[in-house]
Amino acid sequence: MSDYAGIREVDVAVIGGGPAGIAAAIAARKEGALKVVVFERDWEAGGILQQCIHPGFGLHMFGLELTGPEYMDRYLKQAYEAGVEFALNTMVFQMDPPAETDGRKTASFWIMSPKTGIEKVHAKSVVLAMGCRERPAGALGIAGSRPAGVYTAGTAQRFVNMEGCMPGKKAVIMGTGDIGLIMARRMMLEGAEVVAVFEIMPWVSGLRRNVAQCLDDFGIPYYLEHSVCELHGKDRLEGISVVKIGKDRRPVDGTLRFVGCDTLLLAVGLIPENELSRMAGVEISPLTNGPVVNDFLQTSADCIFASGNVVVVYDLVDFVSEAGERAGSSAALYAMGKLSKPRELPIETTPNIRVVSPQKLCGGRDTTVFVRVAEPIEGRCRLFAEPGIFSQTLRYARPGEMNEVKISAEKFRALPETEKCVRIGIEAF
Amino acid sequence: MTLNEETKKFICVSCPVGCLLKVTVQGKDVLSVEDNGCPLGIKYAKNEIANPVRTFTSTVRVSGAHLPVCPVRSRIPLPLSKMRDVAREVAKVQAIAPISIGQILIEDVCGTGSDIIASRSLS
Amino acid sequence: MQGFVKENGNYDVLIIGCGIVGATIARELSRYTMKIAVLEKASDIPFGASRANSSMIHGGFDDEPGSAKAKFCPKGNRMYHRLHEELDFKLRKFGSFVCAKGESEERHLKKLFEQGKANGAVGMEIVSGQKLREKEPHTAPDITAALWCESGAIVNNFEATLAFIDNARQNGAALFMETSADGLLFDETRSSVRGVSTNRGNFRAPVVINASGVYTDVISRMAGDDSFIIHPTRGEYFIFDRTVGGMVTSFLFSCPSALGKGITVTHTADDNLLIGPTSVQQAGRDNRNTTVPGLDETFDGARRLVPGIPRNMAITTFSGVRANINTGDFYIKALDRPRGFINVAGIKSPGFTSAPAIAEYVAELMRENLGDVVKFENDPAFVPERKHIPRFIDLPNEERARLAKSDPKWGQIVCRCESVTEAQVVEAIRRGARTVAAVKLWVRPGTGRCQGGFCSPRVVEILSRELGISPLEITRHGGDSYMLTGKTKQPLLPESAQ
Repeated sequence: MSDYAGIREVDVAVIGGGPAGIAAAIAARKEGALKVVVFERDWEAGGILQQCIHPGFGLHMFGLELTGPEYMDRYLKQAYEAGVEFALNTMVFQMDPPAETDGRKTASFWIMSPKTGIEKVHAKSVVLAMGCRERPAGALGIAGSRPAGVYTAGTAQRFVNMEGCMPGKKAVIMGTGDIGLIMARRMMLEGAEVVAVFEIMPWVSGLRRNVAQCLDDFGIPYYLEHSVCELHGKDRLEGISVVKIGKDRRPVDGTLRFVGCDTLLLAVGLIPENELSRMAGVEISPLTNGPVVNDFLQTSADCIFASGNVVVVYDLVDFVSEAGERAGSSAALYAMGKLSKPRELPIETTPNIRVVSPQKLCGGRDTTVFVRVAEPIEGRCRLFAEPGIFSQTLRYARPGEMNEVKISAEKFRALPETEKCVRIGIEAF
Repeated sequence: MTLNEETKKFICVSCPVGCLLKVTVQGKDVLSVEDNGCPLGIKYAKNEIANPVRTFTSTVRVSGAHLPVCPVRSRIPLPLSKMRDVAREVAKVQAIAPISIGQILIEDVCGTGSDIIASRSLS
Repeated sequence: MQGFVKENGNYDVLIIGCGIVGATIARELSRYTMKIAVLEKASDIPFGASRANSSMIHGGFDDEPGSAKAKFCPKGNRMYHRLHEELDFKLRKFGSFVCAKGESEERHLKKLFEQGKANGAVGMEIVSGQKLREKEPHTAPDITAALWCESGAIVNNFEATLAFIDNARQNGAALFMETSADGLLFDETRSSVRGVSTNRGNFRAPVVINASGVYTDVISRMAGDDSFIIHPTRGEYFIFDRTVGGMVTSFLFSCPSALGKGITVTHTADDNLLIGPTSVQQAGRDNRNTTVPGLDETFDGARRLVPGIPRNMAITTFSGVRANINTGDFYIKALDRPRGFINVAGIKSPGFTSAPAIAEYVAELMRENLGDVVKFENDPAFVPERKHIPRFIDLPNEERARLAKSDPKWGQIVCRCESVTEAQVVEAIRRGARTVAAVKLWVRPGTGRCQGGFCSPRVVEILSRELGISPLEITRHGGDSYMLTGKTKQPLLPESAQ
């Protein structure tokens, strides 16, 4: 007798119960898919937003400044009302490459939970919504010892906001990603000391308002073009060495100094989590580290869609939810055999654009292409999609903030047959 | 510019755009706001000069729940100057599960006129 | 209070240090009825050079014929090919290449080949650069020839060390962690050892084996033998994400220089890519810091073998300190005076490979020299086999399903990068892991690409639950390496309420 708990057949399977996955599941139900199941590895849905207890979510979606749990509460209520099913405490640990049945691709994967053991799932379509992870200290090759007290900001956030424990008493923050800035304030409000924030680049990578309300409000200094280069301390962290970085990107002689602290929190980048996508054979973009998608948020495997930070790391959860909706409704249409894709054009970008998502356009409906510049343009510039699709004047463009390129389906469809791509870019005036 | 006029620059935190506002003030009176992307910036600048306020968020200890702490927020923004007092007040709370989202845990915290409410349900 | 010293029992033999040398000796001696105690200073096993090395089981062509290294290394290699099954640790028969660039290095390959033949190494062949690149397409185009050695293998060095000591313990050996040998005990005339004094009191035994790695000379001097000096030598490494582990499928050496075997590149037993080590003598025995120039040298050296290694795929860096000895060769000796004291020193590369063969030799040495004080009676209850904690990541789905059905903890993934379940963590704790690092060495949560970002709160929680102590008492690696510094809210409450 087999020890497998069985096989589940679903119409749309959503992997990950964070903001992207929940929005996708709701949209899939609304689009008409019957059996829509969210597979979530944690004991509750909501994803990382459950630990993001600060305000700042939902301005686009609800016109309100909600906290992470409040934002998710609204979405989860909608999901239950829409008839979305949940498999909680359930890990998708293996994905198979899509199989072809009756001329259509279908997906299958393996799940496991303490309650039911191992099951196989067959799905007419899948939405990948696994989110992202933080770049760890080890990846940076920081010299020195290996003491306790070095955490990514998100791990510290979990300890503080979910487990009620303090990761340290006197912290230095490395990197200016939003979670780092948020955690600087959070640590202060829990009575810890935050000595300083150091950023290796000449600009802040998080939102500017977080510099204002998390650092300036609390008198926490931050230093741009500074690199944390060495850890000190045998058991617990005792301090770090920091050095100024010159215009040539090399350390400046004579600027090395010691900063005492028992905790180092890292906010040095987020990486989409695509292990399952790779197992399924989905094409991954080396620039976004996420699947290459079209405006349906469809990956290179027809029956697999992807949304949220698993595709590209967004600035705002509102954008993630929006992407989730798009992916969910596309996946539902695919599951019902109704997704038509008359034409697909690649997007080409100007060299100053570092990230673009989606990378292809089909013109199914009006859509937004998100772009991120490689380096700041401080001054008026023009964001465009050509030929003749979109043009907007910006006051500036910065790597920390995504820009939205609105693509009208009507204009896209009107493009002459001879056009082989859509060009998107930013030019300074 | 008259003698007691002065120009201040600060970042608007009303939305994720974070406009760098240029605000001309005379004492506590805002004479003009420039470089704001939307009307929220004007409101923010006036507040910031008169009495800066922020939404306060933290956690309270809770017993009998799946988690040892429950996230909370101030219902409305509080004076920035009161943040640390409010944090100390919130630290004293020991709530008992079940808690439902929106439940008041401290009324009119530190005389600010805002309640501290649960920002999630917890059982 | 002076005068009171805790007595920690009487043994037949004490082994100082639980690296691969101490662990293999303990396991070898546990075949007999003698009473064994292993004293380990650290909180996790392995801790010293056995933890931080290239995890290579060398073929045995590197060493001068006639040396102790040349004697023990090929024998150790053959033993590992059997032991990994008996003791269930990961060993993968990838084979190794020594890569030569140009004529003079090619001449060196021939020398190694001849040396290997003399030492009894097996499965060697000199191949062309082109042949190398057929098997290893990412290797540098200017490599002109390579010495292939089929018997070169890769182990999971954490698992291997743990396997030996785990089996020794199953067969009755006692292990004392966080126990440092501060002095030796002698009889009145200092003609024989009587035991070891430690921070936990005195351990008494007529035989003391010094397997303390970089500290062997310090401990040897306590016994009056100052005939060798250890020069701690640091080596720095990078580990890369699994997605690039497949860039090589075997173990690649540069042509050796006077400094050592140079920077190597390998596919690890767990499918990562590992590069290193540098070789820098230093004063400190415990200084395992990485350095900016060291890491750069490692990376540049590795790129001479495999030019395309992407630095941004590194997941962590580490350094190890090896016990280089001034006399060159392994130094294994039973002292005449004080009797009962055995040095097993200078066991640097190929020390890991040689360890099981050294352990057999040490047992013989004891039997010959100390047979009167320690009886070598076979223990009829000795069980040579031992099982590691099942590795969820390597199991077929049928077996995973069976385990998940048998215990829900097998159905709960704790570490998503390395697919480690709660059951594995619980079992590691049952077998002695007390710290976050120890759990990581046993079953790998935190060794993957997120480096513990997601799983470390879970590991702290499970350690706290299983050990029945507060999460605030959980350390990263013993001592004062606390993971957490307190509860939230406490710093904000008035003193009286804390």
